[in-house]
Amino acid sequence: MRRQRRSMKLLALILGLSLVAAACGGDDDDEGAEGDETAEENEGVQGGEFIDLGTFSQGPPEHLDPGINTTSDGHQVNGSLYDGLAETDFSDPDNPETVGVVAESWDVNDDATEFVFHLREGLTFSDGEEVLPSSFVRAWERASEPDFAGDYSYLFTFIEGGAEKLDGTAETISGVEADDDEMTLTVTLAAPYANFAAVAGFQTFMPMPDDVDELTDQSEWERGIMVGNGPFMMEAPANDQEIVLVPNPEWDGTNYDEALGLPEQPFLDKLTFTIGTDIDTAYNAFEAGEGDMTDFAPGRYQEAQDNWATTIDTPFLGAYYFMFNDRDERVGGEENLLLRQAISQAIDREDINTDVYEGSRTTATGIAPPGIPGFEEGLCDYCGYDPEAAEAAFQEWQDAGNSLDGPLPIQFNADSGHEPVVQIIIDNLADIGLESVAEPIPPDDYFGQLADGACVFCRVGWLADYPTYDNFTFDIFGTEALDGNNYGYSNPEFDDLIAEAKATTDADEAGELFRQAEQILLNDDTGVVPINWYNGTRVYNGDKVANFVEEPTGHVLWETVSLKG
Amino acid sequence: MTSYIIRRLLQIIPTVFVALSFLFFIFFLLPGDPARLIAGGAERNVDPGVLERVEARYGLDDPILTQFGNYWERTIRWDLGDSFLTRENVNDILGEKAVASLRLATWAIIIEIVVGIAVGLLSAIRRYSIGDRLTTILTAAASAIPVFVLGFVLQYIFAVQPNKWDWPEWARLRTSGIGPDTWTFFFIPTGEQWRYLILPAITLASVTTALLARMTRGSMLEVLRADYMRTARSKGLGERDVVLKHGLRNAMLPVVTLIGIDFGTAIGAAVLTETTFNWPGLGSQIVNSVQQRDLPVLLGLTLAVVLAYAFVNLVVDVSYAWFDPRIRLGKGEHA
Repeated sequence: MRRQRRSMKLLALILGLSLVAAACGGDDDDEGAEGDETAEENEGVQGGEFIDLGTFSQGPPEHLDPGINTTSDGHQVNGSLYDGLAETDFSDPDNPETVGVVAESWDVNDDATEFVFHLREGLTFSDGEEVLPSSFVRAWERASEPDFAGDYSYLFTFIEGGAEKLDGTAETISGVEADDDEMTLTVTLAAPYANFAAVAGFQTFMPMPDDVDELTDQSEWERGIMVGNGPFMMEAPANDQEIVLVPNPEWDGTNYDEALGLPEQPFLDKLTFTIGTDIDTAYNAFEAGEGDMTDFAPGRYQEAQDNWATTIDTPFLGAYYFMFNDRDERVGGEENLLLRQAISQAIDREDINTDVYEGSRTTATGIAPPGIPGFEEGLCDYCGYDPEAAEAAFQEWQDAGNSLDGPLPIQFNADSGHEPVVQIIIDNLADIGLESVAEPIPPDDYFGQLADGACVFCRVGWLADYPTYDNFTFDIFGTEALDGNNYGYSNPEFDDLIAEAKATTDADEAGELFRQAEQILLNDDTGVVPINWYNGTRVYNGDKVANFVEEPTGHVLWETVSLKG
Repeated sequence: MTSYIIRRLLQIIPTVFVALSFLFFIFFLLPGDPARLIAGGAERNVDPGVLERVEARYGLDDPILTQFGNYWERTIRWDLGDSFLTRENVNDILGEKAVASLRLATWAIIIEIVVGIAVGLLSAIRRYSIGDRLTTILTAAASAIPVFVLGFVLQYIFAVQPNKWDWPEWARLRTSGIGPDTWTFFFIPTGEQWRYLILPAITLASVTTALLARMTRGSMLEVLRADYMRTARSKGLGERDVVLKHGLRNAMLPVVTLIGIDFGTAIGAAVLTETTFNWPGLGSQIVNSVQQRDLPVLLGLTLAVVLAYAFVNLVVDVSYAWFDPRIRLGKGEHA
């Protein structure tokens, strides 16, 4: 029912707006082109309030606490409240580089099993408490407490003793040692991992002040004013209408690496995240001048590009794809490889990008997107639209005595804009004689149901946590993947190649190993069907906003955003 | 009359019990495990140990009948509990959302009464005139347009376009949010507040206003043909008095019933309007609590809606006696 409402709504809205626009007549001013030009001038001034209508346009964040948050919307807030050991410098998007933030530098041993982070002195939280190595240990122990730990707590298994802490057999993570006098944080890993510094900059690893020690229930932290060490601090606890941030007077961006180009203080006086319930309403509110930025509304990509400044040209480190459940006898296993290859070749990805996303995304030729170190175009042998080959493969699969008892169910989170994609896939599969049916699942319970085995051929999306190849291989397709490997894909050869690549300090060699692993996933096993790679999704008022940068991970660098005078 | 009101108030008790009990049991039939959601949301596999601790903490490991008994034991003391997800007290949520809903519903009903009755009345008096025909078409259209479409079109005309044309700030209506929350005498918007209220109130009122106009017209046409109307005219009363004092008052019984139902619905079920205008009311919060399996919020807010609905219906029934003095509430039929 909800799904139907959404499509009716979209159609009716377009019709309604067309009529109104026709009645109102030509007032199409040239804000778009003008906005694009002025956005590049970057003549921002100090002060002013920025209202973000898009980040929470469809509801409040599930979490804000960096220790347990899993969503990119929550990270927009906590990424401005906390600075971690390191972060990624995307100034050269093709070669993102991990640079120190709170950590001035780090040493890593030859076999990539021990990292020693040297922390900057004199950094403080917004309440004046000094940021020390023990602030990180406190945060990591907190985020790995079994009663509190979030989805990303599996990252602590990278550290020696992390797995034991998470399963309740150890009180602390044995592989972490803080020396506040020397300002060093020594991390011993459970297995060699050359990219650990990038992981250590992720939100789950943000430092925590000693205030958290006084809480009897750690989930209270995000319901109050979370004290952090980032460029902004909370003006008041978050409520269901807005989250308001103001500059943290204790923060000084010039303390950090010059490569990051940070200002002494954020330019904005106030950063307000408005919490909404509907992406179309948020877009209307943006067009009515009630805010400075929002997300693309479905079906209005081109209109947004014509009228406003956008981040559409920013390639995201993110992939949109469909997974096969390897444990499902209809599609899983070696005996169904031809069926999976047929499905992958039957799908017209260009059509999906043009019809559904108005060309705003990049058609995928693999899972790991451009910008990931080690990326190479065209790894997938079965991602091109080839209905003849698909039909032949499907026929061969049937000739071998295989058949589907009924239509192939395609699962997706309902009411989230995936209906037209699934419909194109259903039509494409029908063209090769394969009958399929849409199986929408309520969005709030989607991944829960997938975890319970609901996936047969199901939609998934992944946005990089940090720009490493293992984040697109190990974390989603490894036998020990995030969310407990909901789709059953497991191949020891794949796992071994990933483990070897993670332990390799030579970037070229690691890239080669990662690509070999991805090719097994895409070609030898065809466990996944990549559809497209994401691009930027923000629409902003270029006449008013300067220095608006959306990183390839989707995070906005709020400390550099300013308003024009 | 007093005994009637007391009797009706007592009837509310079984109504509330049945409605909430039904909801309680339905909740556990829905897919999705509330304990898993509490333990960190749907999008993760929760450690079984954590799940057990959550179930114990919230009593979700008790047999369902025990949970049911505990729920009523708490509810009788008006202990509505805390939200499973935000841990916020349900009374606090109720206070915030119910007030927002009540204000929006009040203004929607004011629009409905003023516009609906006036249009219906004029349409009946000037039957088959151009105005009457236009009313028929417009009310049919208003009933047929989905609320969210009307909402978006109104946003476009009165908020987006004025911004493009650079109208003065006061003339630009707002598309979303509750605004500065400044009110006088509880429901009169002051300062900037009216700019936030007007579009959702009109949208919420649109369908019911159209229906009310149609019902007023039909009811008036029936009354205008009645013998006592001819009698009133023959007694020499002016047409204005005939229509307003004898006609309208007699035509009001079904109209008042509809207004009562609309008010109850506007308080608790204005989900689409609240969503379209991001108005933080009861309806959208109830829907969210169903999606998030937040049982205390769902039951607490539903309790308030059921009570409001029952109270409004009581007021409607009592008002019958005023509109039609032949109705004597609380009196049995005696030969």
